[in-house]
Amino acid sequence: MVSYWKNFFLKNGTAVALFLIISVGVWLFMMIILPQLFMLDFSIRANVPPPKFGTEEHYYTLEHYKYMLFGSAQASGTFNIIDLTVFFRTIAAAIFVTLIDLALCYPIAYYLAHVAIGGWSRLMVLSLIVPFWVNEILRAFAFKIIFGSTGVINNVLIAVGVLDSPYDFIRNDIALWAGLSYAFILLMIFPIYNAVESLDKNQIEAARDLGSSWLRIHWRIVVPHAKPGISSGCTMVFMLTAGALAAPQILGGPSSLWFTQIIYQGFNQAGNWARGSAYAIILLISCIVLVLVIMKIFKVRFGEMMK
Amino acid sequence: MIAERLQKYLVIGFVVLFFVYLFGPLIVMGITAFNTSAFPRMSPWDCFTAEWFDVLMQDARLMTGLRNSVFIGLGVVALAVPIGLAGALVLMQARPRIRPWYYTITIAPILVPGVVLGISTLLFWDRVGLLLGMGVDSIFYNGVFLTIVGQATFISAYTMLIFIARLQRFDPVLEEAALDLGASHVQAFRKVLLPFLKPAIGSAAVLAFLASFENYNTTIFTIVQSSTLTTVLASKVRYGIDPSISALAVTIVIITLVGAVMYEISQRRQARKEKAQQAVARGELKSMTKQRSFFAEPAFIMSALIVFAGLGIVYFAGTIGVDECKAIVKAEKQAQIKLRVERRQQKAMFERTAEQIGAEQPDQEDVQDEEKVKAKGTEGYEGIFAPQNLQEQAGDSGVEEEKVKAKGTEGYEGIFAPENLQDQSGSNQ
Repeated sequence: MVSYWKNFFLKNGTAVALFLIISVGVWLFMMIILPQLFMLDFSIRANVPPPKFGTEEHYYTLEHYKYMLFGSAQASGTFNIIDLTVFFRTIAAAIFVTLIDLALCYPIAYYLAHVAIGGWSRLMVLSLIVPFWVNEILRAFAFKIIFGSTGVINNVLIAVGVLDSPYDFIRNDIALWAGLSYAFILLMIFPIYNAVESLDKNQIEAARDLGSSWLRIHWRIVVPHAKPGISSGCTMVFMLTAGALAAPQILGGPSSLWFTQIIYQGFNQAGNWARGSAYAIILLISCIVLVLVIMKIFKVRFGEMMK
Repeated sequence: MIAERLQKYLVIGFVVLFFVYLFGPLIVMGITAFNTSAFPRMSPWDCFTAEWFDVLMQDARLMTGLRNSVFIGLGVVALAVPIGLAGALVLMQARPRIRPWYYTITIAPILVPGVVLGISTLLFWDRVGLLLGMGVDSIFYNGVFLTIVGQATFISAYTMLIFIARLQRFDPVLEEAALDLGASHVQAFRKVLLPFLKPAIGSAAVLAFLASFENYNTTIFTIVQSSTLTTVLASKVRYGIDPSISALAVTIVIITLVGAVMYEISQRRQARKEKAQQAVARGELKSMTKQRSFFAEPAFIMSALIVFAGLGIVYFAGTIGVDECKAIVKAEKQAQIKLRVERRQQKAMFERTAEQIGAEQPDQEDVQDEEKVKAKGTEGYEGIFAPQNLQEQAGDSGVEEEKVKAKGTEGYEGIFAPENLQDQSGSNQ
């Protein structure tokens, strides 16, 4: 170990080695690991105002995690249906959004990588980036405009005669789903595009010559080849959707709530930071577990996914 | 044969639909920025105007937020680029057994929900400040500082990925050669490695700035008392929307487009340069011809001209005749309302006569229409969907009634606050 560090300093020179160690040390410990541990610690302590931190009143307790399951102490015996519903609905909706994005992006990625020609394809790939750099809030705002009761979609549907009176897309969560699918769509398309693009066209040609149907070509050749890209796209979209805050705040109907909004309220309105942290940890851990389980089912390894 | 052609058309149709989904919302939003209507909408179209851009410029809160955002963005660049660089260099040297762990931990912040990062940053520095005995006015409670640190946590991972991609093409022999020729380690780092990484540093800085600029989830927790462009925007969008936000979006889209074009141009320049270098190395060219300056590139000049001309025309067209047009539209609207009122009176008269006859047939639709007009006065449909109206509406719908009442003027803000939930779960018992 000592010789390793010595070697490290020798190889880089003292100044550069110090720069590396300090930068990476600050990042790893002060920004990633310790804050998470502090949050964990915070979440398993009683909720007291800051001056009482470290005193006896700041004891360890699992009450915030219990609260998530059973609600307040007075209501013991039954489950905390409201928070649990929101939690499972958030997870289910995030999975749903991920599947929508996958269904939308796989054909497009394949098209851009193998069907579209030269400059045209390059232009399309470049143009994909533009919506991504428009602010998340503004993207949600755009959906609020087009899905509003006097929005374009309602106007068109009424003009065509499909609807008689404006349909409330926002109250029925359609605006939210459309907005969320839109928000992270590029994080799905680019990994799949990169993976599909590296596939040798000859493989597809060969399969076609041997008489495979296009469905079979995709199922047996393209999808297995693109699996790492698909899984990294799905992971990113799922994690970011489950953790989204802006789109649900802006597009969410009055009666539907996202789990992050509960966390946010724990911090900003209820003033219960400890419970907010506990909920944040529940969100984090359940998302990670879910992703790992799904990766296990589809036999994807983390290492190859991140390439 | 026909099936094949059909399939082709289906594919093209799908691609077109996809791009409509991608750009449609932005285009609609862009168009609403030029409509005088106070509610952002495309139809009915009132008047073409550029006044919302002026409204945008005069919005003091937004401008403060913008200043903070730029400052935070620069801070994040200053922090995330060196950290990402160091992170990538350490990864290259890490021992094989540690490497996967190191990689997983450093990449994790990208996948961790921004909300979680924000909370953990806030709590951590709060405790650090407490341990050091610092007051609430110290840096550890400063929203700008916390936001820079919180955002840099995951943005450093982005920049690290960029550096890794570039470093994979680095030939370590170059560095060894420099050391053999008597360069010190620092010199080898500065004169060999850094120049090689220069393009990556550029992209990393741009990416870091953009990622910081548009971040919301982490910022909303770490910003505390301060504000950034996104937090101001979010509160604006949540509590009532007007076209000046669309105007902001138009501005951002234009800047992004210009940025994308410039990036494309510089990429092509880079490719040309590398090609020329290879030609020199093969001896086909005697020496590198000097490249013309970036600003002299035909593509750059063309796009700059288009943007300036477009902006000029739009602004000019948007300032003339707006007031006249507004007056006309207003008159039209008033005429419409008048017409409706008259029609209603006629109908009422007709009904009265009908009643006298004995056949009672109130026209449901028309009555509703009327009420809206009455309620909103001269504004017509405008504002029907403003939050305060929604509130009234929500009040009608049973369960929410109590909550809205309880929260009074706060609107939706507290409907789902835990205490309310508690109330409810209590009453469920």
